[in-house]
Amino acid sequence: MNDESNRQALQEDLAQLPATDPQRRAAIVPMMQSLQAERGYLDDKSIKEVAQVTGLSTTEVEELATFYSLIYRYPAGRHVLRVCDSLCCGLRGADRLLQAAEKYSGVSLGKVSPDGAFSVLPSICLGLCDQAPAALLDGEAVGSLDEAALQALLQRLQQED
Amino acid sequence: MGTMHIDGHEIPFQENDNILKAALAANIEIPYFCYHAALGSLGACRLCAVEIAPEDPNKKPRVVMSCLEPAKDGINVSVSAAAARQVRQTVIEFLMVNHPHDCPVCDEGGECRLQDMTVACGPPYRRYRGRKRTFTNQYLGPLVHHEMNRCITCYRCTRFYQDYALGDDLGAMRLRNEVYFGRFQEGPLTSPFAGNVIEVCPTGVFTDAVFRQHFARVWDLETAPSICPHCSVGCNTLPGARDGTLRRVCNRFHPEINRWFICDRGRYGHQYSEHPDRPLTAQVSGVKVSYREALAAAAEQIKAARDRTGGLGSTREDLESNAILQTLLNKLSGRFATFSDPQLETATTAAVAALQSSGGAPSLSEIEQADAALVVGDLTTHAPMMDLALRQAYRTGAKLAILHSGPSLLTRFAATTLTVAPHEIGAHLLHLNEQAATASTTSNKHENEKKLADIATYLTTAQRPILIGVSETMAAPEITALAQLANALGSRARLAYALPGANAYGTALLTPTNSTTAMLEAIESGQIQTLIVMGNDPLGDTRLGARWREARQCLSTFIVSDCVATATAEAADILLPVAAWTERGGTFVNYEGRAQGFAPVFQRAEPLPNTAEVLADLAHCLELALPDAAAVLSNIFPGYQAPLPGTLGSSLSAFPLTMQTETPIGSAPLGHPGHWQVTLASWYGDDVLASYAPALVELAPPAAALIHPTAALKERIEDKEQVRLRGPAGTVVLSVQLNNDVAADTIALARVTLAQLGVGHGDLLELERIS
Amino acid sequence: MEAVLTRHLDAHAPLSLQAYQAAGGYHSLDAAFDHKPEEIIAIVEAANLRGRGGAGFSCGLKWRLRGADAPRPRYLVCNIDESEPGTFKDRHLLYGGPHQIIEAVIVSAYALQAEQVVIFVRGEYGKGGHGLKRAIEEAEKAGLVGSNIKGSGFNLQIKVHLSGGRYICGEETAMLNAIEGRRPNPRHKIPRPSVKGLWQHPTTINNVETLVNVPHILLNGADWFRALGINGGCGPKLFCVSGMVQHPGLFELPCGTPARELIFEHAGGLAAGRTLQGFIPGGASTAFLLPEHLDVPMDFDPVAKAGSRLGTAAIIVLDDTTCPVQATLNLMRFFARESCGFCTPCRDGLPYLAQILTAIADGEGRAEDLILMEELCNTIGPQSFCAFAPGAVMPLTSSLQCFRDHYESHIATGRCPFDAANKSGA
Ligand SMILES: Cc1cc2nc3c(=O)[nH]c(=O)nc-3n(C[C@H](O)[C@H](O)[C@H](O)COP(=O)(O)O)c2cc1C
Ligand code: SF4
Ligand code: FES
Repeated sequence: MNDESNRQALQEDLAQLPATDPQRRAAIVPMMQSLQAERGYLDDKSIKEVAQVTGLSTTEVEELATFYSLIYRYPAGRHVLRVCDSLCCGLRGADRLLQAAEKYSGVSLGKVSPDGAFSVLPSICLGLCDQAPAALLDGEAVGSLDEAALQALLQRLQQED
Repeated sequence: MGTMHIDGHEIPFQENDNILKAALAANIEIPYFCYHAALGSLGACRLCAVEIAPEDPNKKPRVVMSCLEPAKDGINVSVSAAAARQVRQTVIEFLMVNHPHDCPVCDEGGECRLQDMTVACGPPYRRYRGRKRTFTNQYLGPLVHHEMNRCITCYRCTRFYQDYALGDDLGAMRLRNEVYFGRFQEGPLTSPFAGNVIEVCPTGVFTDAVFRQHFARVWDLETAPSICPHCSVGCNTLPGARDGTLRRVCNRFHPEINRWFICDRGRYGHQYSEHPDRPLTAQVSGVKVSYREALAAAAEQIKAARDRTGGLGSTREDLESNAILQTLLNKLSGRFATFSDPQLETATTAAVAALQSSGGAPSLSEIEQADAALVVGDLTTHAPMMDLALRQAYRTGAKLAILHSGPSLLTRFAATTLTVAPHEIGAHLLHLNEQAATASTTSNKHENEKKLADIATYLTTAQRPILIGVSETMAAPEITALAQLANALGSRARLAYALPGANAYGTALLTPTNSTTAMLEAIESGQIQTLIVMGNDPLGDTRLGARWREARQCLSTFIVSDCVATATAEAADILLPVAAWTERGGTFVNYEGRAQGFAPVFQRAEPLPNTAEVLADLAHCLELALPDAAAVLSNIFPGYQAPLPGTLGSSLSAFPLTMQTETPIGSAPLGHPGHWQVTLASWYGDDVLASYAPALVELAPPAAALIHPTAALKERIEDKEQVRLRGPAGTVVLSVQLNNDVAADTIALARVTLAQLGVGHGDLLELERIS
Repeated sequence: MEAVLTRHLDAHAPLSLQAYQAAGGYHSLDAAFDHKPEEIIAIVEAANLRGRGGAGFSCGLKWRLRGADAPRPRYLVCNIDESEPGTFKDRHLLYGGPHQIIEAVIVSAYALQAEQVVIFVRGEYGKGGHGLKRAIEEAEKAGLVGSNIKGSGFNLQIKVHLSGGRYICGEETAMLNAIEGRRPNPRHKIPRPSVKGLWQHPTTINNVETLVNVPHILLNGADWFRALGINGGCGPKLFCVSGMVQHPGLFELPCGTPARELIFEHAGGLAAGRTLQGFIPGGASTAFLLPEHLDVPMDFDPVAKAGSRLGTAAIIVLDDTTCPVQATLNLMRFFARESCGFCTPCRDGLPYLAQILTAIADGEGRAEDLILMEELCNTIGPQSFCAFAPGAVMPLTSSLQCFRDHYESHIATGRCPFDAANKSGA
């Protein structure tokens, strides 16, 4: 199922519910995820869209949007590399990786590269401690990283676009 | 229900009480932040730590949060135990990690719970060596000022705003030590109850933006128990004044009425008393004169007119003034009336008569207990706190039904909403009466019939149904029909009306039958030459303003006393400015028939007399012996004793009003082709006095012609299109706004527009497209 | 021990429904429907299956306490929010074999007579979540999920909720709020979720590893399960070993296997020439243990007796090149960052601790800081609203005991002795 049909199914479910039904809220996170999958991040307009579809207020949507680490309220690159900085990766050099990421990309953490190609973000433990230091690239695990591997990865991303 | 021990004191508790609640009820202080009597326990601040002795002496005592720990029979609780004190001190230390040390310039100074709790529990010195986190503030509109750095994250604001008042534009954003309470984007808070966040916030995050403009330290404020003059609910307030000017109004706890909260109209409407146009000097023929001179001029005219004198009281004037005016007119053998619109008079007196025979209206705390309710009209704008009480009923599962013609904020929470044109309200009420009597459920009904059946089911199956009518937008027969419905539902059903004015109930009791019509006709036929208008604005009346303006031309002398610059006051020959409510004492009778006294809060630099004093002085000039207010009132109301300010108030034992309202419903003219029915699109900040409060006026929705999209489609009118409206008093050009809450064939208009057109709820109007 | 839970796992090519059935999958459904629900609960209780999500509460007892007469609808929530640093066992279960999970939730839901299951998957495991959704669709088509499953009269709906991402969402009541679309702050536990959970209906929450044991217990019996453990432990256990070991990884071994065996046999021991400084036995929110604890059986009670918790059975190894102050600071930053912000001690206390630790690690510590941190921990741990903060301070309080000399030397010398050497952590 793609994100658009996903969203349509959600909207159909919502249409069955009365305006004040507490279950409407449950659609907020899936709705945000689906929009973000298409747009890369949620701008104010997207928040308004989620509010409109769920029948909740923009403030109520924002309460959730700003809580979650995987919902981006600021532009993110077309590719997002999330580097784990928790203990197991930390023990195996995550801090050096994060520094290297800034150095090779020339972009500071959390920012988007000038060509919009990628962002590098620190992340909490990704459940990849057996492959530490690890990262997620667009949701795919990349393990056993070192500075050279990271540099290659960033270069590949730049070339792909 | 049981007894526990707190540091050696025996403390009784009720079923389901937690330790904190029971302790507070027994006047035992346990420090706390996030707990709030209305909002309940949350367990977030972790300040209310107490120690509980173990039942088993071999075990260690436990430190628990008293707000989450059920009170149990026989337990030994210690607030003073070292372990509990240690926890509280550390919690304060944590809360002060990021709190700015801006106490000297903080508006909360003097009533800051954080400061009190820090002194009570806290460490004397700061040990944290890091930087403080900082936030940017948001502009939240003209009423509430935002200062997020002071936040201690007790969640009281959003629990009040969202959970209690059911607002949706103030929320908790982000997480960790960055939790941010604000809106999605800057802009005015939209809840009619937003101002209460100022009082529920234990620090200075939310403060009174109006008070800030003319700030005083709160310990310098003069205060006295007062009653809100802005609607018939009669919330108890505590105004504060300094240097002869009124600065702010806060809630004052009344266990059966407003309890912890007031609405924004009540909190900010007071700005009328500092309005630059407020009349402060007496005038004769537009020339400023001394009070004595104006009084003498008035007396002279009244002496000349004698029994051709009329007196018009007001539903927003206190009981004393109305009664004394009536007495004065009696002595003069003149004419007395209280309303500017006969329809409002019959509806209001019908409502009071119905309440008298129904055994009295429920208090707000009783409305909160309802399990089903029918509201006729738009409650929020006419009695905001009654709306808040209904929201509490809704939260606990009550079924709300709304029968209305124009926009209403409550429809969002209604299980069933019936939106019908003004002329159809009565017929629907009659239908509902039938439905309730027969409880018939025929299938294949018209949609509205089905809704009526649903409403009848809610009401007949409920244990505690409540019917509430908004009398300003109801005709007397509709008032009576609602009362009949209550009657048919039996003694479990309660009946209430939102009445037009803080003292509408009290005034109605004094109103002679058909007084308004009689007064108007008497003026128009020359029988009345001199008219005293007291706190009323007949010339600004929505429906009859034009007729009154013409009638005024028939008068030789027009004497007006008021504390706001109404159209009427501006047209006065003799103007006698009077003290505002906060500057005088008096009595209002609220929608329940509860008489409540209010005390003067302060004196202006140049004090003004109150209306009753003006009348007494006038009588004196007329060499008439007028008894004092107490004597006048005990003459009218058997056993009357003035209710003392700051008490719970007393119910007025009055003679029953009789009403001739047997006008059958349905005889009202149905819609004419080419005409629209008019209804009022009011908003919660709107009443005569509050319309002089600049901060509220800033929030008033722009005037527009609200019509339903279907109606617009039928007439091929577009959203935002300019249309010309033609009424008996004039023509107005407005832009159309489509609104789903307006009935078919109906046009909803702001009060000012109605006055310009000379129409009221239920009147007909022509609409013309401007192409 | 023969693999039980990991036998059919393959993250690259997880078994299809058919293949899984051919390998014996979904057989437990027939066994389940032959039993009364209460009987299954009794078997699970007899097996002494303890919760694998961290707290170790008896699964059978939890189910029984919910009560057979709980009002309907009832929910079962399967917790795959795994975000505890050091822990990756649930990822292997999710990516390696979604049908095993589905089978487990069907049998468990039947035992609980719950008609709705929500599987809560952490957002970072989105790909795994999609695989799970596809597997559920497969199972629905085959009549294994839906109404009247295999003619039993039992109806079940399974939904997957993909988290927006936050460690606190793994806490069971925060998870309920997350599913309902509220802010994922934990809830007060009176009434319990088993009384008023999702949308105020009775709800049982279990970790996915807990649940995948259930079909095996049902098929093989409680005694078989108990006998699988050693040193007093019961059943198979998924152990994660990571940090400064040669071969970090997931190992399915008898519950009760000592840490020494895990670290030195299965995970390949430390790098040449290094010695063990200490280890965390059960994920980031458990107390440090020292080399002297290597022979403690990795089971709930023995680890607790040693002063820590089995938690998620995720061992994180520190060798002698690791600065324990830096390692502790890393954990504290994690917790300060992930605090939901609901209650004061956690929200404002953890960043306070992180600030002091930073100062010490940067050589700006003061002598009184150690006592100050202990004092603060004494309030933060016991007085927070949920179990997050007690878990957050556990590594610190234990680190202050286990590695006190390191803290003191940082403060005394004004520098980190590991900086010059091979700086690790943080
Ligand atoms: C802060 C916090 C995070 C948690 N995260 C998880 C988690 O990611 N996965 C999990 O299964 N349990 C987690 N738990 C434990 C759950 O609250 C709950 O106890 C568990 O899911 C119950 O399942 P079990 O009895 O099968 O272990 C967490 C608890 C806390 C306090
Ligand atoms: S302990 Fe932390 S995570 Fe738990 S409620 Fe408090 S702030 Fe939230
Ligand atoms: S009042 Fe008890 S925790 Fe805040």
